[in-house]
Amino acid sequence: MERKNAIEIKDLTKTYGKKRGVTHISLSVEEGDIFGFLGPNGAGKSTTIRSMLGLLRFQEGEVRILQSDAVKQQTEVLRQVGYMPSETMFYPTMKAKDVIRFAAKVRNLDCTREAERLCRILEVDGEKKIEELSLGNRKKISIVCAMQHNPRLLIFDEPTSGLDPLMQEAFFQLLMEYNKQGCTCFLSSHVLSEVESYCKNAAIIKEGKIIKTDTVSNLSKSNMRRVFVRANGQEKEFVYTGDMKELIHKLDGMEVEDVLIREPSLEELFMHYYE
Amino acid sequence: MTILKHELKMNLKMLLIWTVCVGASCLGCILLFNGLKESMEEMALAYAQMGTFSTALGLDKMNVSTMEGFYATEVAIIFAIGGGMFAAMTGVMALSKEEEGHTAEFLYTLPLRRFAIVLWKYLSVAVLIFLFNVGCICLCLAGFVLAGEAPSGKELALFHGAQFFMHLETGSICFLISACCKRKQTGAALGFAVLLYVVDLMCRVVPDIENLKYVTPYYFSNAADIFVQEKVDGSMLFIAVCVTILASGLAVVIYQKRDLS
Repeated sequence: MERKNAIEIKDLTKTYGKKRGVTHISLSVEEGDIFGFLGPNGAGKSTTIRSMLGLLRFQEGEVRILQSDAVKQQTEVLRQVGYMPSETMFYPTMKAKDVIRFAAKVRNLDCTREAERLCRILEVDGEKKIEELSLGNRKKISIVCAMQHNPRLLIFDEPTSGLDPLMQEAFFQLLMEYNKQGCTCFLSSHVLSEVESYCKNAAIIKEGKIIKTDTVSNLSKSNMRRVFVRANGQEKEFVYTGDMKELIHKLDGMEVEDVLIREPSLEELFMHYYE
Repeated sequence: MTILKHELKMNLKMLLIWTVCVGASCLGCILLFNGLKESMEEMALAYAQMGTFSTALGLDKMNVSTMEGFYATEVAIIFAIGGGMFAAMTGVMALSKEEEGHTAEFLYTLPLRRFAIVLWKYLSVAVLIFLFNVGCICLCLAGFVLAGEAPSGKELALFHGAQFFMHLETGSICFLISACCKRKQTGAALGFAVLLYVVDLMCRVVPDIENLKYVTPYYFSNAADIFVQEKVDGSMLFIAVCVTILASGLAVVIYQKRDLS
């Protein structure tokens, strides 16, 4: 059975006056997928997400979330989405439990049970005021606010920054749990290991343009090789992405003492895309 | 309704501080009246002959040695300026505080239309101004009871009704400023409220800038004018209502089209 797209972005262009935002972004995420959105700082990840959620008005393109127009049916879309921004901030004088309750109340839902369960797992102290909390603890509240209403789509922008390793693990366990129940997850990150471990598909964005979209396993495969050569008493290490015959032909003319040709690590591969 | 409750809760402390400060100042001033009454009779004559100064403060129209005159020329100024500053501050913070405090991403990704959020926020500004006015009036009434003297009820009601509209107009203009800014312009808003008062004083004494009376809402809500004429100028009030509707409407339109950071 063909799966529907949870996210469908066609030709999205958003500029800030003369400044670049994102240009002609097109990508689709199937329902039930965990999709990684990779890119260095300033590449356009947050701009894309904010355009998807209606925080930014884009100049061109079309965004459909859960088969609804993200601009025209924004409220319907947001009702089914859980979002965690990269810079998590709430009202400083409010208690954590009041923020969580406020988010549920606006949705006209009683999410007490799920919120309590999430708070237990993430060790959230509901009695503390927001102004007393660290970034990590604010992130945990944001996770609860995003998940407590059992959304069909979860969008996380740099979710693990500020979380300690134990909480990162707890967060991904929750993510997998929600995904098993049919929730689609869109994960913007520049932490490659996260995307490699948990995402099925990913897109790489660079300078406001999508440069690659594929399965994570395909993205890891490439004809790029890291070459180490010791010749004429000198050592050289470089990345080679051309024809292998040509490389061997070039090496043939040198007095090669040692050569090592290996597949690059995923980290190196992404760095290559970024450069 | 959740947004309205939330906004009122978030601003409760500020409302109480301003109401107590302005209201208590008015109350204190009213209580001073009996002690100053005798010396006021001589001062009233002197005040009435101070030319433009008297005109600006309405002392040429009211007798400061009566409770009515004292209230209209002394207490009403505290209430008008204090209320104007409170309204300006409440209006200017309503929208821009979300972006400055980085809470916009949280609030505007909840399933509510941006139009609805702005509307509830505007309503909360109006309710806060109303509660401020009610609180201050209660303290003033308490002052009249303690002083054993009070101005005429009709004029008092007209004055405070006009003051509410004046505060609402100031708050609405500042709400529009808030819709255009990413940071809270509190200083500018307080300055704006004071400027409107100064414009009122100026246009009363300088004939060349008399037309500025249509610009400042302090003009139609002037206590001395209302107590003497026993009415609020209808055309001025109409302008105030139009400005209020225009400012709040523009704020809604602008804020719906704006990118939120």
